[in-house]
Amino acid sequence: MKAEALKGHLDGMLLAALEDGPRHGYAVIEYLREASGGRLDLPTGTIYPALHRLEQAGLVEGSWSVTGGRRRRSYVLTRAGRQALVGRRQEWRTFASVVGAVLEAKPWPNPA
Amino acid sequence: MAEPRLIRDYRTVLAARLPAELAEEVADGLEQTYRHHLAAGRDPQAAAEAAVAEFGAAETITAAITEVSPARHAARILLAAGPLVGGCWALVLINAHAWTWPVPILARLAFGATLAVVIALLVVAAFSARYRTTERTAAAALIGLAVLDLTLPGALVLPGVLQGWPVALAAALSLARATFAARAWRRIHST
Repeated sequence: MKAEALKGHLDGMLLAALEDGPRHGYAVIEYLREASGGRLDLPTGTIYPALHRLEQAGLVEGSWSVTGGRRRRSYVLTRAGRQALVGRRQEWRTFASVVGAVLEAKPWPNPA
Repeated sequence: MAEPRLIRDYRTVLAARLPAELAEEVADGLEQTYRHHLAAGRDPQAAAEAAVAEFGAAETITAAITEVSPARHAARILLAAGPLVGGCWALVLINAHAWTWPVPILARLAFGATLAVVIALLVVAAFSARYRTTERTAAAALIGLAVLDLTLPGALVLPGVLQGWPVALAAALSLARATFAARAWRRIHST
């Protein structure tokens, strides 16, 4: 799935990646890779500015810690971030059901 | 094992364009991506090429980080709010025929020049692709703006030179902006 198709959905996916607890940037990348079955085709480096944007918006909070002898910046959802995630999920369900209803309204044409 | 030159060059670009902690954070992600490809059985050069291709160009990442920096955010808000605060003061000063006041020409020039420099710095901070440039110009603009916003009410309102609700509104907007500038300055220097 190309990065352009993900526009508007990346923030929600990042919030979902942090739902179970704090993760550092690369752990978020790994989560997205595994959860999507490797089908997300976006430059993974863009996760970092996106996380910083969410931090600016008060949806996640970043802090430095040492894990496995390495200094890493981890991110955790804030209360506002949890609320935003609930909202994003609801928006996505509505979007998917509306688009799905329109696309599936007629039987797919048979190319033969 | 030494890292391939491609990874070292990437780190160099990050270090040149971002503050140390931000560069360290992004470089860690690149290194982990490189290790992921090494673990998948690629040779170091192929793993480095795959990591950089997957991660995205360093210039793109650093520009995107600059775009979401606190300095950029503050500069854009202040540029957007500038006409409102400036317009209020302009109306107050025009209404009071401020050009007839016995203010020394040097003081007028100094005020005008400071305002012009502050606006120019904010424009650079709002549009530069370089993080450090954005941060430095925004920090300088915030100081200049806070000085201007404290000077006008301090010189005109406190001594009672100007009175009335339009003056009170302009002074309140200036003080609110000076407070925003001080908070933004602290935020820029805490990241």
